[in-house]
Amino acid sequence: MGADLAQLGADELGRIAVNALLTRTGLDPSRIDEVIFGCVGQPVDAANVARVIALRGGIPEHVPAVTVHRNCASGCEALTQAYEKMVAGRGSVFVVGGTESMSQIPLLFRQSAAIKFAALAKAKSLGQKLRAIAGFRPPDFGPRVGLQLGLTDPVCGLNMGETAEVLAREFGVTRAEQDEFALESHRRAVAAREKLAEEICPVYASGGLVSHDNGPRANQTLEALARLKPVFDRKTGTVTAGNASQITDGAVALLVMSESKVNELGFASLGYLAGYSYAGCDPARMGLGPVFAIAKAELQTGLTPRDADLIEINEAFAAQVLAVLKAMESEKFARKVLRRDTSPGAVPREKLNVNGGAIALGHPVGATGARLVLTSLKELKRRKAKRALVSLCVGGGQGAALWLEAL
Amino acid sequence: MRTEALASDEKRMNLGVVPPAGGPPLSSVAQEKRFTCVDRQITDEQVCILTFDRPNSSANVFDRETLHELDGHLDFIADSTELKGVVLTSAKNSIFIAGADLHALAGASADDLASLIELGQSVFSRVAALNIPTAAAIHGACVGGGFELCLACDSRVASPDRATKIGLPETQLGILPAWGGSTRLPRLIGLPRALDVILGGKTLAAKQALKYGMVDDLVPRERLVEFACRKILTQRSELRRRRHGFKHWATNNRLFAMALSLRIESRLLKKTRGHYPAVFKALEVVTRGLSRPPAESLALEREAMLELARTEECHNLIRIFFMQERARKRSYILGPTPAVAKPVDRTAVIGAGVMGAGIAQWLSSRGLPVILRDVNAEQVAKGMAGVAQLYQEGVKRHLVTKLEARAGLDHIFPSPAEAPLRNVDLIIEAAVEKMDLKKKIFQELGELAGPNTVLATNTSALSVSEIAASTKSPERVVGIHFFNPVHRMQLVEVVVARQASSGTVQRAVRFVQQIGKLPVVVKDSPGFLVNRILMPYLIEAGHLFEAGASVEDIDAAMLDFGMPMGPLRLLDEVGVDVAHHVAGELEVKFSDRMQTPRVLAQMLKAGLLGRKSERGFYLYNSKTPEVNSGLSLFQEKDWARNFPREELQKRMALLMVNEAARCLEEELVTEPSDVDFAMIMGTGFAPFRGGPLRHADSRGVEKVVGEMKRLVDSGGAYFAPCALLQRMADDGGRFYADKGHQ
Repeated sequence: MGADLAQLGADELGRIAVNALLTRTGLDPSRIDEVIFGCVGQPVDAANVARVIALRGGIPEHVPAVTVHRNCASGCEALTQAYEKMVAGRGSVFVVGGTESMSQIPLLFRQSAAIKFAALAKAKSLGQKLRAIAGFRPPDFGPRVGLQLGLTDPVCGLNMGETAEVLAREFGVTRAEQDEFALESHRRAVAAREKLAEEICPVYASGGLVSHDNGPRANQTLEALARLKPVFDRKTGTVTAGNASQITDGAVALLVMSESKVNELGFASLGYLAGYSYAGCDPARMGLGPVFAIAKAELQTGLTPRDADLIEINEAFAAQVLAVLKAMESEKFARKVLRRDTSPGAVPREKLNVNGGAIALGHPVGATGARLVLTSLKELKRRKAKRALVSLCVGGGQGAALWLEAL
Repeated sequence: MRTEALASDEKRMNLGVVPPAGGPPLSSVAQEKRFTCVDRQITDEQVCILTFDRPNSSANVFDRETLHELDGHLDFIADSTELKGVVLTSAKNSIFIAGADLHALAGASADDLASLIELGQSVFSRVAALNIPTAAAIHGACVGGGFELCLACDSRVASPDRATKIGLPETQLGILPAWGGSTRLPRLIGLPRALDVILGGKTLAAKQALKYGMVDDLVPRERLVEFACRKILTQRSELRRRRHGFKHWATNNRLFAMALSLRIESRLLKKTRGHYPAVFKALEVVTRGLSRPPAESLALEREAMLELARTEECHNLIRIFFMQERARKRSYILGPTPAVAKPVDRTAVIGAGVMGAGIAQWLSSRGLPVILRDVNAEQVAKGMAGVAQLYQEGVKRHLVTKLEARAGLDHIFPSPAEAPLRNVDLIIEAAVEKMDLKKKIFQELGELAGPNTVLATNTSALSVSEIAASTKSPERVVGIHFFNPVHRMQLVEVVVARQASSGTVQRAVRFVQQIGKLPVVVKDSPGFLVNRILMPYLIEAGHLFEAGASVEDIDAAMLDFGMPMGPLRLLDEVGVDVAHHVAGELEVKFSDRMQTPRVLAQMLKAGLLGRKSERGFYLYNSKTPEVNSGLSLFQEKDWARNFPREELQKRMALLMVNEAARCLEEELVTEPSDVDFAMIMGTGFAPFRGGPLRHADSRGVEKVVGEMKRLVDSGGAYFAPCALLQRMADDGGRFYADKGHQ
């Protein structure tokens, strides 16, 4: 956040991704049936940001576009909605993705100030105007930080980081475990730099060139991580800026088609969507969302983590991922919370987030879901492996789980 | 008939639907047969609406008949006691009135012209003298005589559309506004602004015209007439007062006019070197006419017009106008050809250097999606930075809005790697000028591109036919040669390779027209047309420099000739490296007359590349370039040391004439006007001279050949006139059959 891409709004980031997608695929954009983009903090100057992205990205105006919002799984939602439309016979070629400029989520005026501004705007005579101005008080001008508001659950009142602290306490996840996990995320992301570069399109902004991710730190150490202060519980907390996902800017665009359309147009696909589920859970423990979603997806697909060659669980917080791992193999959790006899199954660390995760790569919330799909399909191809499971926890108490298969 | 109903009728006409017959009430029915270009309607509120609608044409122009017709309507209006006002408008889609019919003007004898000017002046003066208020409702181009008619009205309202352009471009054609424009504009908007418009031959967008005071209101097109009617009916007294207003007393007085005129005159002299009499004449008429009664000022206009219309400069400038019009529309057909060339929807540019970026920017600004490809992200980034900078400059100079600039940039699809090009209609290669590289690229493009994609090269010196031979389908290869800087240079050479199919060439020509450039079709041959003719001239400048002539003298000689820039300065702008390369390519083929001057190689070695390295024949590190005195080192000979400027000018100009004649002789183009047009638009060759071949005609071919021969005798074998020139000199021939206009 506030770095290389900070000057670019969510519409611009999304446009760049779509622009690169069209260039790389050579797809005739008039063939697209709809554009679906996920975005959490939609820019105020680009309402229905998907439409802005589509038009600016070079997609003809007859192609409709819709923005979808399922918090951190918005990028997945875009993909699964395309699937649902396809199944319903509402199109066969979709450009989907997600975009987020966390840097550009605005500061807001308080409601008290907004009312007074409205009064000022209505004032006609000089006297009325002066009176309206005189009504302002210093606290009216204290900004409300949009980003902070967005990351606070309006139902349970906890900040996302605080929900992670809840899980750390309840599942006994230590600070050391979290820092260790965070370090590994950086290590894997740094090692995978070349691979991940395939997914990155250069950004030519204001005369310069941004072609690399500035998230992964090659020089990250446990000592450095240990020195960071807890953010959400100053005294006894364990969640720090170092073991939580980075708040970043980015966008992803994917081209999805029905199988027959892929063949008709002569494209080679990376893989396909084999099944998916969204599940709800306690908003104060939203980090456990993946457990619920994976369990629910099993009911539909019969697939368990054992069937996956690769697993992505979005690293919103190290504490949260580690809690998920514990819950996934816990019989007690299965019986008590999931109300089933067996646990969903252990997630081996060597299959999990093999190219690093959001702690190193960042979490532009609207885009992450789509990025995880792309990253895992590419890795399946590299490994000539079959199946990947992509899962995210979702603010507000939800989980998403997608099963992907390589061709 | 009610105003609303009329407005909707107009709309229908604009859609190309014939208005229902038998409709118009009152007297217009009886007069329908006689009045063909101007329709008259009277609204219920007694406003007379005159609609210009020339039959079978997309434009309205003023010729004798139209003026007489308008005069007839004025008779009717003057006789009426009922009418409350007059509104003038047009039924055309993109043109209000495009001014006087230039063809009629160009073909007129002196007497005809005098009577035509007088007729226009008297009709417009009648409009101005009507005792009811008048308004012009302007949508579309309203220039020259069209705007002069509006100036005779009490009020002008215009649509804000892009098609609406308002101005007085006469001086660009070597004449001046003589139907009252030079008299009425300064009275309306004040002397300084009026001179800005008239001397600059400017045509303004609606918004700027409003700012200048040339129109009073901007109103949506559909409501123009309605608004004008209302204005006439509700603001009668204001409009009347304005007729006798004395708004610009501070500038429109004799003292101010004299002072301003002196200042402007000296600036014009410096800029034009006295070559364009029209601007001086217009300045004189406007400033002198200002302090006299309108009738006297109109007489000044008339006299000046008759004087200017006789000049060779005026004839040549009008010819250029016609050539431009022709280039915009002309289709190029070579043998059997598909009925209509398919328009280009998607494009790609290979190579993101200065030319590649310039081309990509231009295409994107015309609404075309462009894939901009280079070998890696760093190269693409440089190109993208170049494109962004061009747009930024455009925003700064108010040529585009910020939103338009962003939309333009959005149209570019940067590609740092090989990209699929199957759906692209036309690809322009603008890579480094190396034959091996280009062959490789075209081989690859032949595979990547769809079967109907036109493959174009922007090479300036390499053989297009040889490049074409490297692909599987050479028939779809063509040269599309843009000039630098792309956004400023209107000319584009369409180079026909040996193997090119007629469909390919036709499509390329259509494409060039589609993007608003002016094509000239040239056979593939070293240097094509423009560089081929320009090179001997630049080479001679180099030789003269080596032989002791000073940089100042060489450049001043050609500025005096009327070139926009001296040859050595031009070498700096082009880049010494590029010039050296092109000269080298041409030397291979034309060694008898084009020997690359040593000084270019020496400068190249010393890193003096011209503007891009800040050092060349001039030094560019200060605000105004200064002559690089260090270069005297390379002046190894002295035979030209004492040449007067006239001699320098003669030598350099003759070489252009000779090479231009050779291009015609070799049938690189079909007509002499192709050569002249290309040289004027591609190099700025003194427009008032009408191009190198026209220049030879005006000087007399025999005389020109005689001068060449004298230079041959004094040791300059490369001045030997080509066979065509020699033959023409012997037969007393000319390049152009016409002596006057056309």
